[in-house]
Amino acid sequence: MPRTVPLFLVVLVIVAASGLPAIAQTSNATLNASVNGLARLSLSSAAISFPDADPDAVPSIQAAPGAINVTVKARTLPGGTVTLTVVANGPLRSGIDTIPASNITWGATGALGSATGHLSAAVPQVVGSWSASGIRTGTQTFFFRNLWSYATGTYTLTMTYTLSAA
Amino acid sequence: MKTFLTVLALTCLSSTALAQQLDLSLSSAVVTFPGSDPDAVPLVSAAPVQVTYRVRQNNKATWSLTILGAGDLISGPSRIDITNVTWVATPAPPFQNGTLSKTVAQRIASGSGNVNPSTIGSITFRLANSWTYSTGTYTQTVLFTLTAP
Repeated sequence: MPRTVPLFLVVLVIVAASGLPAIAQTSNATLNASVNGLARLSLSSAAISFPDADPDAVPSIQAAPGAINVTVKARTLPGGTVTLTVVANGPLRSGIDTIPASNITWGATGALGSATGHLSAAVPQVVGSWSASGIRTGTQTFFFRNLWSYATGTYTLTMTYTLSAA
Repeated sequence: MKTFLTVLALTCLSSTALAQQLDLSLSSAVVTFPGSDPDAVPLVSAAPVQVTYRVRQNNKATWSLTILGAGDLISGPSRIDITNVTWVATPAPPFQNGTLSKTVAQRIASGSGNVNPSTIGSITFRLANSWTYSTGTYTQTVLFTLTAP
């Protein structure tokens, strides 16, 4: 008995020093997220107008109310391309009189780049093109080529913007 | 020597009998974030996950439930940082809200003593929606761990 007491104490000391092992229970879950293709275009104005002017004094008339703010939002595949185009529904018309749509030009700034272009009723013109998903904003300012040869009248055309992501 | 062996055996039995007993289960092993318009749904919620847990023989020691992402959400070459996933958990306490991490296990719930009988908590995961994400179906595994002490 005198020898067992020290051994008992040793055992207790060992057990106390080691403590109880930490235990754990685990469980797995899988997260799935779907990201679908999506595109949205917004323009600050749905109408622009070119005020009348003397062709000698103002050979190129800037549209009112000025630059159009263009916001492009698009989701595309990795390495995909986002393209914004504009096309006219025909020439500017005033009754039987017409002015070619190509007499309207534009200049772009911001994410639309610094490119310039002209309207076409035959082929959609690229306003901007980007790679990858995201939001881009820029401005587009239109100009009208003012000539003495135009018949008087109020001319109108419709432009259609198309935003595509592929 | 006989006495020593007896004490040792009893001590071992006692250690085994005193070890904490933990139980953990999830109502669903899959959490799905549906595709949504970022303008209309800036924060995409998944269906709530019910967490059932039980802690026994824990005396007054602490316990905790943590979650760790195995990485970012991945779809081919595309990634969405896992920190874009947050959760809202109830009841609080012991549950708490948080943000997923792929490097440090984040605490979802904690307490002390026993939780017996089994108790249920609810976790709703949310994904910060963005126009910058590439299209695809993203996936990643998360690990729930219930530990004591």
